[in-house]
Amino acid sequence: MVEKCNIVIAGVGGQGVLLAAEILGNGALIEGYDVRVSEIHGMAQRGGSVVCDVRIGERVYAPTTPDGMADIMLGLEPIETLRYLRFTSSETLIVMNIKPVKPVSVLMGMVKDLSLENIIQIINRYYAKAILIDAMDIAMKAGNPVVQNVVMLGVLASTNRLPISVNAIKESLKQLVSPKYLELNIRAFELGLKAGETYSLFRR
Amino acid sequence: MATNWWKNLVRSKVLLSRNVGERHLLLGNEAIARGAIEAGVKVVTTYPGTPSSEIADSLSYVAKDAGIYMEYSTNEIVAVEVAAGASLCGVRALSCMKHVGLNVASDALITLAYTGVRGGFVLVTADDPGCWSSQNEQDNRYYALLANLPCFEPSNSQEAKDWIVYAFDLSEKFELPILFRTTTRVSHTLAPVEIGPIHKSLDHGKFIPDVKRFVMVPDFARARHVALINKMESIKELNEKSSFNKIIEGGEKLGFITSGASFNYTMEAIDLLGIEASILKIGMIHPFPEQLVKDFVRRFEEVFIVEELEPYIENTVKASTINLGVKIIGKSNNFLPKNGELSTSIITKALAKVLGKPLPKNFISDISFEEIKKILPPRPPILCPGCPHRASFYAIKRSMKGMQINCTDIGCYALGIQEPLKIGDLLICMGASVGTACGISKSQERPVVSIIGDSTFFHAAIPGLINAVYNNHRIITIILDNCATAMTGFQPHPGTGLTGMGKQGKRVIIEEVVKGCGIEHIEVVDPYNVKQTCDALLRAIEYPGPSVIVARRKCSLLATQEKRRQGLKIIPYKIIDDKCKKCFACVKVLGCPAINTLNGTIFIDFNLCTGCGVCEQICPYKAIEISRDELW
Ligand code: SF4
Ligand code: SF4
Repeated sequence: MVEKCNIVIAGVGGQGVLLAAEILGNGALIEGYDVRVSEIHGMAQRGGSVVCDVRIGERVYAPTTPDGMADIMLGLEPIETLRYLRFTSSETLIVMNIKPVKPVSVLMGMVKDLSLENIIQIINRYYAKAILIDAMDIAMKAGNPVVQNVVMLGVLASTNRLPISVNAIKESLKQLVSPKYLELNIRAFELGLKAGETYSLFRR
Repeated sequence: MATNWWKNLVRSKVLLSRNVGERHLLLGNEAIARGAIEAGVKVVTTYPGTPSSEIADSLSYVAKDAGIYMEYSTNEIVAVEVAAGASLCGVRALSCMKHVGLNVASDALITLAYTGVRGGFVLVTADDPGCWSSQNEQDNRYYALLANLPCFEPSNSQEAKDWIVYAFDLSEKFELPILFRTTTRVSHTLAPVEIGPIHKSLDHGKFIPDVKRFVMVPDFARARHVALINKMESIKELNEKSSFNKIIEGGEKLGFITSGASFNYTMEAIDLLGIEASILKIGMIHPFPEQLVKDFVRRFEEVFIVEELEPYIENTVKASTINLGVKIIGKSNNFLPKNGELSTSIITKALAKVLGKPLPKNFISDISFEEIKKILPPRPPILCPGCPHRASFYAIKRSMKGMQINCTDIGCYALGIQEPLKIGDLLICMGASVGTACGISKSQERPVVSIIGDSTFFHAAIPGLINAVYNNHRIITIILDNCATAMTGFQPHPGTGLTGMGKQGKRVIIEEVVKGCGIEHIEVVDPYNVKQTCDALLRAIEYPGPSVIVARRKCSLLATQEKRRQGLKIIPYKIIDDKCKKCFACVKVLGCPAINTLNGTIFIDFNLCTGCGVCEQICPYKAIEISRDELW
């Protein structure tokens, strides 16, 4: 059993941040861990910035990760990954989807955009371990762009940093995803898993 | 990619489960719902409000199968009255609301404490430290003090579920309403919950009259106040020894007193700093277990109080330990702030400072987050593409030319303050748009508009409107009727006629109510028809008395979902490049997020456009058209 594993998941409303968090949390429960998953509802409507914590351990109290204590930052969107970096330290493993969702403020020409190159530069400057993946591309291969979140869970599961087994996550998916979409989700998860495995090989 | 109905199905299985000992991840709110079912609740009432909504919503979903009557009441005081009526007949009743909802319900609650109840009655108040989705962060523990009623404060989902069951028993035993206070981080955290047995309770009771107890004329009320005080004395005795308060022993060096969500952060902060400390966690915060606290405080030279918002525990501890000479450290010493949410980080830093301890190494980062933050484009919540409110705001702005003062209200339409429409000069509380508009219209020259949603109208606007008629205030009330309580999760309301039991009942028609209030100038418009809406507004400006415009159009999020479900095509609009003069009126004046500009080009995102057609009507060069290709 690990002492504690703090995962921060960041993204945009509609990307399935909450579902990804719940799948991990439920997987941790299946493995026999104590777990807390924070959700903030309300003003975070469609298109707003969303952040969620999954905290796993033998005994967990607080729902939120203290500043700098994230073991893993799972970024479903690059700008949102940057927005919540204060929960990370240079030891945090960054797993980030490089497919941006441009904020409306940018699309409407009200503020300046931040380019992906810039974002990747910042990540590479501060973090020893980062896995940067085009989850949209993989999700399309799986059959639907909406499963980007589950692709990212697959990528995450390919690292050795998660205290939850691949089987427990699959079991969790079975419990939480409607049977109609289960096959698509399992496919997305497995493609993510494979992408993660080849990624780290390639990197080394 | 779970669709909502599947999630609802999964959760409802858990809520109805008979498998005692099974463990599931539940939100604090869902755990409360499960606890209420275990306690045999029979009547559930609510007015939706974040962070409380999932309690009643999940009970609405299973109501029929669980043998519960569930209703969305018009507002919180009605919700409490309905639940109280049921309880007075001997059945168990639950009423849930957000913290500010209890302001509305407090009039009923405080006197209900005198009459007392019969069947168990629990009132859940979900507080929102940090104002995640509220207009204030008031501390409702003071309502326990004000009404002199028992109040529980759970710190996680398991406690929330277990304690609700006990709260019903306690309520029935002492015939008192019980307050159950959560905060956002308890209500909205998923945590493991072990399922318990479901108890049987009365399905149907009867009302046994008892004039001296239930009719609160002054004479009887005086006697009932004494009865309340006596009951609370007995409950205090119970609380001194109750298992809801517990001490986590860690030596005699440092003492901590805490409760609810703050307990969780305290445990982790102490662990992070590696200090030895004993912690008294209080589960029932009123009537306060004075003796227990005294015996605990006595053991230390210094005791830290960790609580969110007001110094409620701190002041109570100070009052009961004044003679002990122990230093109590809390808000008054600026150890912790009186505003906002606490967190493990905040408490760790505060403690490290006071105790002269080094911070955990990860707290000192080599990454300059502030620098990164500065270059990040913001992503605030915005009105959805095709939102009918945006169309209404556009019409207001166009017809009134910025002359007007906009008193707005609680709901999605509060987002109207953002660029580019910027509609909203005053926002106080549910229904205040109408009352404040009355006062403003009397005290200055500019035209005054009150903007209020459909659900909010039923909740709190009617007395204000009658006031406007009676006292002849020249205000224009614009009722934005999007056919749902959209902000809190699309709950139904009297205007939709759908009930909490999922049945179609009688619809209450807004314009008929308005007419009944005495308003003589009423127009109903479709905000997607820009000219019609602007013309109606111009007539209202000319009208010499109070007027009402009902802008009716279903919430675009809801309408799009429904169309998709029915397999209907959504036909987007497009910008014809040759005709577009790049004036950017559609972006800079209307601001629909489906219209995008990128590197000098302008286009409509087909995936986002809901086909409302408002942009077509405002483009000065007729460059926007419905996309014909899709029509084939
Ligand atoms: S028709 Fe125009 S205003 Fe309506 S949703 Fe589409 S782009 Fe937005
Ligand atoms: S309002 Fe019409 S002309 Fe102006 S930018 Fe938009 S589409 Fe082009």
